[in-house]
Amino acid sequence: MERIKKLLKEAGVSEYIIFGCIERTAELFFIKKQLDTRRIKDVEKFKVTVFRTDEKDGKQLRAATDVTVLAEMTDVEMLDAFKGAYFAAQFAMNPYYELPDPVTAPLIEAHGRLAEQAPEQSAGEMAAALFRADTGTDAFLNSAEIFVIQRRSHVISSRGTDVSWTEAEVKGEYVVQAKEPEDVEMYRDFAYTELNTNALTAQAKEALSFVRDRARAQKILKSGNYDVILTDENVMMTLWFYGDRASARMLYPGYSTWKIGDDVQGETCGDRVTLTLRALAPYSKEGIPMHDLALIENGVMRATHGPNRFCRYLGAEPTGDYRKYSCDNPGTMTFAEMQKRPCLWAVTFSGFEMDPFSGHFGGEIRLGYLIEDGKLTPVTGGSINGSILDAQKDIVFSTERYAEIGYDGPYAILLKNIAVAGTDAE
Amino acid sequence: MFERLDAVKPALKKLIATLRERYAYVSVLATAERFRSWNVSKNGISLSASGLDGGDGYVIRVFDKTGCAEYSINAFSEEMIPAIVNEMETRLEAERAALPEGITPMPAAIPDDSPAALKKEAKYEIDPMDVGDEAILALIGRIREKGLHAEGILDIFCGVNYSAERKIFLSENRDLDESHMWMNAFVGAMSARGEEIKESYKGYSVLGGAELLKEVENDIDEVTRRLNDLLRSEPMIPGEYECVCDPEVTGMIVHEAFGHGVEMDMFVKDRAQARQFMGEYVASPLVTMHDGSAVDECATWAFDDEGTLTGDTVIIDKGVLRRGMCDALSAMRLGVKPTGNGRRESYERKAYTRMTNTYFEGGDATKEEMIASIPYGFLLEEPTSGMEDPKNWGIQCMVNVAREIKDGKLTGRVFSPIVLTGYVPDLLKSVSMMGGKVQLAGGGYCGKGYKEWVKVSDGGAYMKARIRLG
Repeated sequence: MERIKKLLKEAGVSEYIIFGCIERTAELFFIKKQLDTRRIKDVEKFKVTVFRTDEKDGKQLRAATDVTVLAEMTDVEMLDAFKGAYFAAQFAMNPYYELPDPVTAPLIEAHGRLAEQAPEQSAGEMAAALFRADTGTDAFLNSAEIFVIQRRSHVISSRGTDVSWTEAEVKGEYVVQAKEPEDVEMYRDFAYTELNTNALTAQAKEALSFVRDRARAQKILKSGNYDVILTDENVMMTLWFYGDRASARMLYPGYSTWKIGDDVQGETCGDRVTLTLRALAPYSKEGIPMHDLALIENGVMRATHGPNRFCRYLGAEPTGDYRKYSCDNPGTMTFAEMQKRPCLWAVTFSGFEMDPFSGHFGGEIRLGYLIEDGKLTPVTGGSINGSILDAQKDIVFSTERYAEIGYDGPYAILLKNIAVAGTDAE
Repeated sequence: MFERLDAVKPALKKLIATLRERYAYVSVLATAERFRSWNVSKNGISLSASGLDGGDGYVIRVFDKTGCAEYSINAFSEEMIPAIVNEMETRLEAERAALPEGITPMPAAIPDDSPAALKKEAKYEIDPMDVGDEAILALIGRIREKGLHAEGILDIFCGVNYSAERKIFLSENRDLDESHMWMNAFVGAMSARGEEIKESYKGYSVLGGAELLKEVENDIDEVTRRLNDLLRSEPMIPGEYECVCDPEVTGMIVHEAFGHGVEMDMFVKDRAQARQFMGEYVASPLVTMHDGSAVDECATWAFDDEGTLTGDTVIIDKGVLRRGMCDALSAMRLGVKPTGNGRRESYERKAYTRMTNTYFEGGDATKEEMIASIPYGFLLEEPTSGMEDPKNWGIQCMVNVAREIKDGKLTGRVFSPIVLTGYVPDLLKSVSMMGGKVQLAGGGYCGKGYKEWVKVSDGGAYMKARIRLG
């Protein structure tokens, strides 16, 4: 860091933010119960943002250009990179904004076995947790990848910020397969900030159960409009529409017209959305202290969020970029009650998509359950294509909860009258 | 380009020699990248040289008694060799020792290390850095200003980015060295229909440099016209229809619906239905599919990230599935020749079988003939995303625009957004007309599942097929 600061000074850069990150990983790749590849990683990078100010027609302007530098670069290479970035910044002027307020603090260290023990050991323990669920012969783990990451971050700015923290994360993905009566598979991913072996075993057991059902799922879905239940990560993606639309990145350019105090769901709506953004790290990459933030309360927007520049433009307190949110409504219907009506529970998709600009969501169904008279019939194929702007009018949240690294909220949502393209045309 | 790699190369050879005393096979991939992006929109002007997490670093691959193992680093010098060797021995053994009971190593033969040497320089007409930041920002600023004059525009967003890379692959017997440059650009427009924001865009790509910019300036009117069409679009009535795909939609079908299904690491995992269809008709005889470096696009490299020389892989030949594409490790396990498709997101990531430039050969029909042949159907334009399903050959592709065709003519009605679904061989066997002019688009990145983003291109010609739309 001191070398970078010295070279920035030599390059004539007086305003900057340096984000340094050291990452150490252990990675395991499995094909069935065999180890395909193992990997380790040690990298250190510095993302340096250089700022430049100017004035035009009496108005102050500000530009920022970022460049990544490595410890192995020579002083000449690094100096060239900083000079080049500073020179380029003169052509990228935007309205002026202040850099993040200075903050200094001692190192904040993550604790727990995931943060403290060797990542290779944690990778082995998570592998054991995953394969603990793999006890059947009709449904089994096809393949898996596990990544254990220990990270140390450090932010320094020309305004005096000097903060550092450590984090640990284990994440990965796996595919479960069932061969009879149809040979099918399903994909799941996971991510935890603790060595949460029990959660991974439970998730894998559920995935194995779903893939058994997918193997006997039929292509009997008829085209039409259905009440649709979405669950777990598809709920997370759907409800993040509200988080996206309330972000400073969407508000500043006018892509979102929401304002603090607006009822963003409209007068006619189903269950009300209450979203809280959750801080997973103590600081953002710009060195902004991160705290939990009440974003939307009973459908009313209470705050905005985002990086320094866009928050400054909106006159809001910069919050940094969040990686987790919670939807705090307790829900109004149990998951069992949702299933008492004729509906389609779309469990997994080839790739569920939620477009924060258009409000459209959809995807091709890999496993669904057609629910009629309380009976669940596994179905596969077909697609849903809906709009949250319409569906929010009578959206229902389940009382059951679901949590993962980026989300804590209702396990299920019920969306009424959603267009479904069935498999009847095949 | 990237002289630092020349300076470090002798020390990398020493590292390989040192590790060879301990491991049956050793290779090193060294990468260096120069990246820049320029963007304008209502969010302001942005200029970044930080790259896409590709960047400069090294991946050391060894084969020991447990199989394939790798170490990724981004600092290296001759003095560090003892520490690197020690770190690999200690941590890779710790990783093996921590494996749960019941897990065994997957047999892996030692990779082919027959001698190969290559040095290839990047081809480009104009280095983007010679054009300069000021001129590039001025160009996209002009395009934006022009587009903003159209009625009802919420925003015009334009961007240009380029990457210059150099990769060196070294093993005991191989010394491969290539530099490469691509440039991408896009122009897009947004309008609001109440709370709903509609977008339209056009992308550009070239294996080369700033010569691409000549193409970019004149299309903003076409983009804003298409956006206006979207503002009066209707929801699709689900069903199976006769469709004409524009070359970009054809490209998405090639890539998402079929390409991922013939990535042969999926064969090793028993995750691809295609393995059972080798030598069989999986498509109409009008369909011939290629992947590889026979064309000049963003994913054209002379060797892959495992040191395998690339070429032209004919995957479907007149409707018959001939072979898949394969990385080196999977090829050893399957007993086939690798095709030069072992690619990494960066030196920090594992290599998988990945597509490069993937496309259908052209035919002899015209777009007009295709439209004229359809009693009722749609012209599909502007793909937005897709997801693979190699196991079940299910299709999920999203497109932005479906133009209604009635009695052989476009009616002017537009439907949006559209989800394409169905069974891949059904769709490909239904191809009844193929256009003459093949166009490739290399503006995007391809993920393996939900990660591992690599630069690819895909394409084809206008294509007529029966497709289920929702």
